[in-house]
Amino acid sequence: MLVISLVKQHRLPTFSKSILIIVGGYGSGKSEVAVNLSRQLVNAGSAPVAIADLDIVNPYFRSREASEQLTSLGIRTINPTGGQKYADLPIILPEVKGAIEQRQGVLVLDVGGDDAGARVLSSLSESFVEDTYEMLLVLNGNRPFTADLDGCLKMIDDIESSSRLKFTGIVSNTHLLEETTAQIALDGLELARQVSRRSDLPVAFLSGLREIIECDEFDNVDVPILPLERLLLKPWESSAGDE
Amino acid sequence: MAKVLMKGNEAIAEAALRAGAEGYFCYPITPQTEVAEYLSKRMSEVGGMFLQGESELAVANMLFGAASTGKRVFTTSSSPGISLMQEAISYMAGAELPAVIINIMRGGPGLGGILPAQADYFQAVKGGGHGDYRTLVLAPSTVQEAVDLTMLCFHLAQKYRNPVMMIGDGMIGQMMEAVEFPESYEEPPLPSPDEWAATGARNRKARIIKSLFLDPVGLENNVLILEKKYQQMIREEVRCESYKISAKNKILIVAYGTMARICQTAIDELEADGVSVGLFRPISLYPFPEKEILREATRKNIKSVLTIEMSMAQMMEDVERAIQGRRPVHFYGRSGGIVPTPEEVKEQVHKLLSAKRHSSKKKS
Repeated sequence: MLVISLVKQHRLPTFSKSILIIVGGYGSGKSEVAVNLSRQLVNAGSAPVAIADLDIVNPYFRSREASEQLTSLGIRTINPTGGQKYADLPIILPEVKGAIEQRQGVLVLDVGGDDAGARVLSSLSESFVEDTYEMLLVLNGNRPFTADLDGCLKMIDDIESSSRLKFTGIVSNTHLLEETTAQIALDGLELARQVSRRSDLPVAFLSGLREIIECDEFDNVDVPILPLERLLLKPWESSAGDE
Repeated sequence: MAKVLMKGNEAIAEAALRAGAEGYFCYPITPQTEVAEYLSKRMSEVGGMFLQGESELAVANMLFGAASTGKRVFTTSSSPGISLMQEAISYMAGAELPAVIINIMRGGPGLGGILPAQADYFQAVKGGGHGDYRTLVLAPSTVQEAVDLTMLCFHLAQKYRNPVMMIGDGMIGQMMEAVEFPESYEEPPLPSPDEWAATGARNRKARIIKSLFLDPVGLENNVLILEKKYQQMIREEVRCESYKISAKNKILIVAYGTMARICQTAIDELEADGVSVGLFRPISLYPFPEKEILREATRKNIKSVLTIEMSMAQMMEDVERAIQGRRPVHFYGRSGGIVPTPEEVKEQVHKLLSAKRHSSKKKS
């Protein structure tokens, strides 16, 4: 067991930049990637980790719903509180701008879906200093608007123009929730590679549920792999998942 | 077609297109706006009409006008928006027009909040507008079922020439699940709208589509025509499902929509602890599966019925009416956008079981 975990460990994604902006289409799995990435970074222990929920387009299933859990792991969460926590209003806390400009430790920004959700970044774009951030496109090839190369390239264009920022990499996160198979995730990686060739953006990492990505099929995958544990659950999944 | 991952609202939109929807009228409101967002892109691709009105009042009356042409038309909204549409829904029922109205419910009353709720049960099932009319009401519990029922809604609206509603709590609209669309849309044959719709009176007698009948005999006659359709719905459109109903159950839970899925999780966990509970899930809320609930609730082994809702004992009234006092009916629910957890459901079951033990001890 120890050997296995050591083998898998060295394939985890690592970053030299202090700000990780997680962006993508609706349902690409951005929030799940963002919270799991934060967890992995805090486990790596090299620097303090903060996560800000910038999703102003979705009313439910946002990373702020995992904030208690993340706080208990020592991750600073920057989210609207009180009644505003439940609003779908364009509220960006002043702390977000502060955290971007101070650049202490690692800051993960979980941004809302599509170009509509990424628009929030344009109001912050002047605070970002070039070469200090990664902006990662989370791709799910099982979503209708990013099911093929053209759709993905359009998503990149749309988000870059609404956010006024440029992508630096791709996260291959193709899944079908609980119906995901290893083949689905690997097909998604193939799509991500195609997008990578056309856009000149590297595949930063592949992410997937732990039980999927620990299959033998992933042994020869040549990109880092982030194992996911689902933290944003539906109410009927919550207590079953605890067992 | 392979499975895709879709948000409930998008899946509903796509299902409507595949069921032949040609006109969609909308006004944005959380948590259903993605239906409009999706159709703003897709509707023009299929040559249909997408129109955002200036308010829900406008939208509902656009729907009224468009429905009178016999085309497949629909709208989606959420609770406060659906309240604004009630007048036109009553008019459409009175004028015998087919239209599909989808309510992705949020907490109320008033402006309420934006989190999931089932508190529009009375409004949907008992008729939110005025007059002797009914809307056929379906309630999905998964995104796949939302797809299937959306398609069915269009068929039923045409079959009965009556407004048909689908109601789902906010989660139905907002959650992502894997869905599959049928390769082609098939439905049983329907009478052609050409027989009644406002299609242009060239070479035929003009038709007037209206809900105004000043002569009381004429109005009562119209009400009786509607009533005949509602009796047919009761005979033909009851839909329901049961889960782990067995002779070992002492308690029968009744829940609909995603609330039923939470109850299923609770039931699985109770089963693992040696407690056997069954679930009855109405899929059609009007017509309500009265006979089916009565049959399940009055099995010898069932001691009591527990209705669980994301509202304050609204469906419970129909459950009580169906059971006719032959079993005690208990209620548990949360509102305001708070969703009962499987833990809370289990606690309610344990409470009922221990209360029964106490009462049987007393008797002995």
